Amino acid sequence: MMDPPKSNRPNALWLMSRFAPHLALFGVLIIIWELLVRTGVITTIMIPKPSSIGASIIDLYFVSGTIWPHFFITLTEAVLGFCIGAAIAIALAVGSSLSDPFRRYVMPYAIVMNVTPGIALTPVIIAWFGFGMGSKIALAAVISFFPIFVNTLTGLMQVDNEREELFTSLGANRFQIFTRLRVPAALPLLFAGLKIGLTTALIGAVVAEFAQATAGVGVLMNRFSFQLNMGASLATLLSMTLIGLILFYSMEFLDDRLVFWRREERREAVSRKRARAWKRRAETSGRTR
Amino acid sequence: MADTVAQSTMNQRAGMSLRTRRILTHAGIFALLLLAWEIGSRTGLLDPLFYPRPTDILASFWRVYVTQGNIWFHLYASLGLVLAGFVAGSIMGIGLGALVGFNPLVRRFIKPYVIVLEATPRIAVAPLLIAALGFGAQSKIAIIMLVCFFAPFINTLSGVVNVNEEKLELFKSLGASKMQTLRKLVLPEAVPVIMAGERLALTAALSGVLVAEFIQRDQGIGSLILTYTRNLNMASAFACIFTLTIIGFLIFRFMEWLDHRIAFWNHEDGLNRNAQKRQARWSKKLATA
Amino acid sequence: MEQQAIIEANDPGTAVVAGSNVGKTFANGTVVALDNAEFTIPKGKFVSLVGPSGCGKSTLLRLIAGLIAPTSGHLHVHGTQVAGPRQDVAMMFQRATLLEWRTAIENVLLPTEIAGNVEDADRERAMELLHLVGLGDFAFSFPAQLSGGMQQRVALARLLQTGADVILLDEPFGALDEFTRERLNVELLRIVAEVGATTVFVTHNIAEAIFLADEVYVMTPRPGRIAKVIDVPLERPRELAIQTSPEFNHLVDEARDVLGAH
Repeated sequence: MMDPPKSNRPNALWLMSRFAPHLALFGVLIIIWELLVRTGVITTIMIPKPSSIGASIIDLYFVSGTIWPHFFITLTEAVLGFCIGAAIAIALAVGSSLSDPFRRYVMPYAIVMNVTPGIALTPVIIAWFGFGMGSKIALAAVISFFPIFVNTLTGLMQVDNEREELFTSLGANRFQIFTRLRVPAALPLLFAGLKIGLTTALIGAVVAEFAQATAGVGVLMNRFSFQLNMGASLATLLSMTLIGLILFYSMEFLDDRLVFWRREERREAVSRKRARAWKRRAETSGRTR
Repeated sequence: MADTVAQSTMNQRAGMSLRTRRILTHAGIFALLLLAWEIGSRTGLLDPLFYPRPTDILASFWRVYVTQGNIWFHLYASLGLVLAGFVAGSIMGIGLGALVGFNPLVRRFIKPYVIVLEATPRIAVAPLLIAALGFGAQSKIAIIMLVCFFAPFINTLSGVVNVNEEKLELFKSLGASKMQTLRKLVLPEAVPVIMAGERLALTAALSGVLVAEFIQRDQGIGSLILTYTRNLNMASAFACIFTLTIIGFLIFRFMEWLDHRIAFWNHEDGLNRNAQKRQARWSKKLATA
Repeated sequence: MEQQAIIEANDPGTAVVAGSNVGKTFANGTVVALDNAEFTIPKGKFVSLVGPSGCGKSTLLRLIAGLIAPTSGHLHVHGTQVAGPRQDVAMMFQRATLLEWRTAIENVLLPTEIAGNVEDADRERAMELLHLVGLGDFAFSFPAQLSGGMQQRVALARLLQTGADVILLDEPFGALDEFTRERLNVELLRIVAEVGATTVFVTHNIAEAIFLADEVYVMTPRPGRIAKVIDVPLERPRELAIQTSPEFNHLVDEARDVLGAH
């Protein structure tokens, strides 16, 4: 692995040298694939020519733009489902970490939810919430719940004895220990849970669309597949990858902002910012005095 | 000494009664919830057509397992596929993971593809595989293999890559061959991580078979749930779903047991058991010699 | 200030920490962590507790801190019975126990924040304390940007920020390398003398215990008890070189005899 140059912005040359081999390999693979199909070595309908996938991508994304309404519907379903699942999961995890009896009452049901494949509820949830977006959001919420719950709870239950003793010796109350010690210490695990939850929420939305829906990339995927239009199906699959990447990296960004103390550059940036804020306050308070 | 023994048995008895009391409270709350549900349904607060009564679900259990006995056929169909797909998919995952892990060049070039694959909901390929491979067992097994492949692959890869540097140096200083290092250090170190991947894979396999059966509704527990729901026989659908809960629980316990057997050094009970066994073996060898 | 008045009225010997018949058992009385401890620590004195693991030195420290309650006997600080964590007693641990999401200065301000609002005067004091421990230039660094020794200095500044005049140190430099530890010990003596605190220092290193202390409590396990109190008449300020003097070695032998005989 090559290290980035010392300047903050990686320059074009470094980027080229970094990505060129990958791009070259990718290009070669695509050409070999294309040739194999064209020369008739690969004949199954399952594997289309890269050029026909490319043509489908251009058509679906840029010419007709068919994919976009479906894209945003699935994205919305996954995000809303995730938000609902995460809100319930975090609330229950906070309650469970604060009260032992509450945790004992919640845990058995959470475990039952965990060992049941959430996907199995798909038909029932569609019967309950209808064919529209509601059922997709509900399934996304149901299956994203557990990973977020269990990660948040584990994070909040981590006890560092010496730090707790420090807080106790300073006369801190339970609320102070919770907000100033337990919550920040739990954030890294919470975000790990949220990232898993986002991925599962997307799975939930897509599977519910497979089962019964009128719109969404899952519907499109089903339609193209059964038309045996493999180029278009793979182009649609790409849109799911895109949604997955968007969701994952936005959470990664939030993680990096909020849990800033794990990465060298972020630490230094925040450190500089706080030094400036301190100086500013000292100046203003000096003026008022 | 006698005093303390008496005290500890007393504590034990007090603990047991506390435990029994807790179990009873939980059972009581659960029973109350069920009762509220039953009453709500009977008084018309909950539409029994959509929200089946607990007694109806119980009756359905009896029907699908005993009087009609139709669930057996579907369970057998689904679980056979799960087993086949899981074994094939995870063996492929472990094998490829190890292969990639040992080869730094391949590792470097495969990384972008892994990131893209990780963001894609793998289960979304289901319609495509069914369309390409046709209806029947082979497309279902292919789907299960696909969803089972990734977790063991990633975990094996990271397990093999993240071997303790100092231990590697130790092996080097002892003049161990590549094969010796692999067999005596790398694999045992990676086993707990690989097992964690297998756990995820088996859970994914269960979800995979359900999605496959939702799309091609010929046989299996997934299509049974779908059919019951379509016929608004929700009680029977729930009997199937709770069956999956039980299967999920059994899978969870089985994987836990397997983990204690294979990666015994991470668990207290495994350490004791193996220490005794090995001591017995040692003394037997001495005796024969 | 009020508490000061109480001890002066109650105890003419100006004992800041006093224990009579202090005992602590765990696991329903089956483990005696500390048995019948009798001691008085005068104002401004430095006491080291030394002994092998299980001798009750950490237990005694936590009893004084009010983190655990004694099962028998009485424990007084500044003439009032210890009934829980208190403002005039502060503690430092083997690990720096800094919060990694706070800068050095924010870590130092934690005690003030927990006690109430942070005023400008508190901020100024925190900055002064960081200068006192030699970290004036690192006020806005995060713990992960500091070395182990520097992290312990921040923890020391945080301890002083509480304003407590009884400070309890539980092997504070035990996880650091020998050179850093010796340097920090010398600095600790300087700082403690400067703020005039009464100090209890736990260690399992005999030489370190003697080098720092006015009095060394040699403790032995099963049951944990104070086996001997050794007076250290070495002059202050002390330099590392006194560790080679015959008097120093004589004191080391004296402590070793107690621990060896046990």
